[in-house]
Amino acid sequence: MSSATAIAPNYELIQQDGLETSLLEVSMGPHHPSTHGVFRMDVKLDGETVVDLQPVFGYLHRNHEKLAENMSYLGSMPFTDRLDYFNSMTNNWAYALAAEKLVEIEVPERADYLRVIMAELTRLVNHVSLVGFFINDLGALGTPLLYAFREREKILDLFEQASGARMMCNYFRFGGLRNDVPEGWLDRARDVVDHFPVFLDEYEQLLCENEIILSRTQGVGCLSRDLAISAGITGPMLRASGVNYDIRKVDKYSIYDRFQFRVPYTDGNVGDCYDRFMVRMLEMRESIRILKQALDGIGDGPVLGNAPKVFKPKPAEVYGRVEAPKGELGFYLIADGTPKPYRYRVRPPSLINLTVLRDMCLGQKVADAVIILGSIDIVLGEVDR
Amino acid sequence: MSLELIRDILVATVPLLLIFPTLFAFTTWLERKALARIQNRIGPNKVGVPLTRYGGRFSLFGLGQPMADGIKMLFKENIVPRDADRLFHLLAPILALIPAMLVLCFLPIDFPWINNIQDSVKAFMLDGAVIFFFAITGLNTLAVFMAGWASRNKYSLLGGMRAIAQMVSYEIPLVLSAVIVVMMVGSLNAAEIANAQAGWNWFIFTPWGLAAFIIFFIAALAETNRSPFDLPEAESEIIAGYFTEYSGFKFALFFLGEYIAMFAISGLAVTLFLGGGAGPGVAALPWLSVIWFLVKIFALIAVMIWLRGTLPRLRVDQLMGFAWKFLLPLSILNIFIAGSALHLLAGGRLAGLDEKQPILRQLMEGANPLVVAGLWIGALLILYVAANGLNQLSRAKVRPREYKYAE
Amino acid sequence: MSLLGGGIFKGMAVTLRNFVGSYFYKDRLTTNDYSWRPSDKLPQHAGEYPKEEGEQLRDTTTVTNYSRNFPMLLHDGSEPMDTIRCVACQICERECPPQCIYIEKSTEKKENAGGKPQFYPAKFDIDVSVCMSCQICVEVCPFDAIVMNSQFELSTPDRFGGLLLRRDDLLKSNDYYHNIHPEEAAARDKRIAEEKAAKEAKKKAAAEAARKKAEEKAKADAEASEGTPDIQEDAE
Repeated sequence: MSSATAIAPNYELIQQDGLETSLLEVSMGPHHPSTHGVFRMDVKLDGETVVDLQPVFGYLHRNHEKLAENMSYLGSMPFTDRLDYFNSMTNNWAYALAAEKLVEIEVPERADYLRVIMAELTRLVNHVSLVGFFINDLGALGTPLLYAFREREKILDLFEQASGARMMCNYFRFGGLRNDVPEGWLDRARDVVDHFPVFLDEYEQLLCENEIILSRTQGVGCLSRDLAISAGITGPMLRASGVNYDIRKVDKYSIYDRFQFRVPYTDGNVGDCYDRFMVRMLEMRESIRILKQALDGIGDGPVLGNAPKVFKPKPAEVYGRVEAPKGELGFYLIADGTPKPYRYRVRPPSLINLTVLRDMCLGQKVADAVIILGSIDIVLGEVDR
Repeated sequence: MSLELIRDILVATVPLLLIFPTLFAFTTWLERKALARIQNRIGPNKVGVPLTRYGGRFSLFGLGQPMADGIKMLFKENIVPRDADRLFHLLAPILALIPAMLVLCFLPIDFPWINNIQDSVKAFMLDGAVIFFFAITGLNTLAVFMAGWASRNKYSLLGGMRAIAQMVSYEIPLVLSAVIVVMMVGSLNAAEIANAQAGWNWFIFTPWGLAAFIIFFIAALAETNRSPFDLPEAESEIIAGYFTEYSGFKFALFFLGEYIAMFAISGLAVTLFLGGGAGPGVAALPWLSVIWFLVKIFALIAVMIWLRGTLPRLRVDQLMGFAWKFLLPLSILNIFIAGSALHLLAGGRLAGLDEKQPILRQLMEGANPLVVAGLWIGALLILYVAANGLNQLSRAKVRPREYKYAE
Repeated sequence: MSLLGGGIFKGMAVTLRNFVGSYFYKDRLTTNDYSWRPSDKLPQHAGEYPKEEGEQLRDTTTVTNYSRNFPMLLHDGSEPMDTIRCVACQICERECPPQCIYIEKSTEKKENAGGKPQFYPAKFDIDVSVCMSCQICVEVCPFDAIVMNSQFELSTPDRFGGLLLRRDDLLKSNDYYHNIHPEEAAARDKRIAEEKAAKEAKKKAAAEAARKKAEEKAKADAEASEGTPDIQEDAE
């Protein structure tokens, strides 16, 4: 894009007599410390100001959707872990939800409770490390990130005890969960959940009033309510732009209608990096509320419903979606009566949230472009698939 | 040049060239260790006594790490980008190190061996020592931009441009806060400034001295590219800034230069505000003053490390705004306050203060506690109100927000 | 109106608390010292951290039993190939999402642990550089022949050969399995025993039914041919 539209609105390159000026084109990435993976931004700079930005991605394309079309339904489950590798549990859930719609399996109650617990723990993991990465992009020397990872480790231990793996959990199955949690797991989970608010208090004390963070993030990367809606933004980013939209509340999938929790959102007149950061901080508190209720309400029972041994759905089309920590994660499946899906499509929140990057970055400083990218919360495994 | 003069020059300079690079090695270890602990890590703890088979067993908290780093740096390949300006690419790290090393001579540290040499080779006895200090430190800017330009890398160029803007801007509050001390002592001679603070008469214990010290320290952070003002080498934005294209020993020279500059500017802060070598026990044991001087330097460096472990970085426009719209007016106001107070005190117009006695001692031990307290409260209140006002002017919209919840 | 710079001081208080706390509280300094031990003292399985004197470790024992790394093949006795459970049915090969299993079926049958002549894998290779530890093979295996190992010290200078585990590398005894995954192994053995018992009961029942039927038939025949001793009571 080199047309006039590529340049930021109201931008004019100053040309003086006898002086030749040109824009500085910088290719940020794919080997750049703050692009969160193999992502590239072609940035045109006037001094330090971004006048044009072109996101380039696809470096991590792994043919996920086509692979899934040549594989049994169950075989794709471990691959969904690798989409958004921070939140394998919610990825599993979205896929399981879609497949369960295909064959209409009932999920046992205990499995549903465990699913909610796993998903909300995942949300804690994601938000707490996202905030860490975000502050890292702001230039802190990794201190908040390492605090976040210290806490994340405790939750990953829980995941490992339940599923055998820390990140690539592959824990959900059509009709429930692969196995029940081991003995004493719920007590350990309760312990972790009870201690998390203590850490959050400290985290908020470290970050939320820091003048440098406030002045760096407020008024930076504003995303208007209208643009957010029309671009299909979902998740905390949409709520930071002032739209009260949470699929846990809208769809009430699984057993989310049983829990008391609130959805933080803004009144939508700013929608900047600070809002996106704060909405995530506040969401963690609500996740803890859900977790406490779920851990109290969980009962005994089987964790796997009577799923068919051979998964061979009748021809149908389904769309299953969950509120992943990053936004609406959906799986669209077309079954044609064979054990393999005819079409398998992922609606990745990271990719769709990334589409407004340019609109948010134009006219900002180059340092802001980095934190705007950080505040979107992308995982390249999900963007490129 | 007589043989004696040459000997004196060597005695005055060679120990500095040995002591401070050693301290630099120790500081890198200290910084990594402290940052690690701040971040709940262990930090370097593997490298032990080098060249022994017990290296791992007696790791001494990883104190061998700087030496291992140094050896690694020496043996690393020296990569020069194809299109780089080879001469200036080579010169830049050298030019970064030399001024930093030079200004060490202006620190009035009473090493035992310099008592016997003639005064003319003691740089800190120079009548314009403080001015010289700032003049030579300014050279650093040149080296940084030279590195940024010669590397032929856009990130380096951005880093170099940022460095120039930053260093030139922060030089002004830095010098203006040093002016307070010069006003109080009436001399630019570093040794005289340090002597004036003998005992507990440190200038930081005066209201304007305290304010000047804070401004000086903030500006010093920016001068030495330390967090939160490490924009020229902002990792998350421009990779490593001006030394993106440097590797091996050239990078080590930059690194060394940066830390030596940290020592130098902390040493100046100690000289100007923290009483130089003054401290308990110095009267009885004169060599203690060296220890006190170094302890104070390390105290300041510890604060720098602490800040680095806590704070994110400012943005480039905020950085400039902070220098010009906040620090500069404040330091001018501070000079005004200090000037009026000193004038009133010197004229003896404030009751209870004796104009013949040293003003500082009176402020410390104050003939009239009310006057002393009034001075402290008045001066700091004016400065705080002014700072608050400036803050409100520059970033009025920035504050924590309230959020809505949907049930 | 908050104090000027107050947020920064608050943050500095937090970092100071962590700095000091990391010397006193284990939950602040969670790092385990690991990598600089002599190689023979390195743990091979999760949770197997050999403690040195004065060393404090995070409680990893709760994690150990459940971690999974790469698959292994189970055998029941001391002689691996005589008691191998795998019958080379190749379901895992077909179901493996990253296609990292390669099996060659034996041409002749051989007696296995159950004492029945069965096929066995002449070749069973797993390329662990491709394997993603998803455990699908374990789930689809009808013979409980493949389970997950937790060994992780697998680094090798040989990029291709060293990471291609052959059948004999993969064969591990059931005792070993009990050792690394006690709970899971116990549950699995219990299930196998139950299934076996159920199967045997079913078999027995089937045999019983067959016998009954035969007897009834015989009785009917006898009745038809008159005057026979009653064996029905013995059968009860």
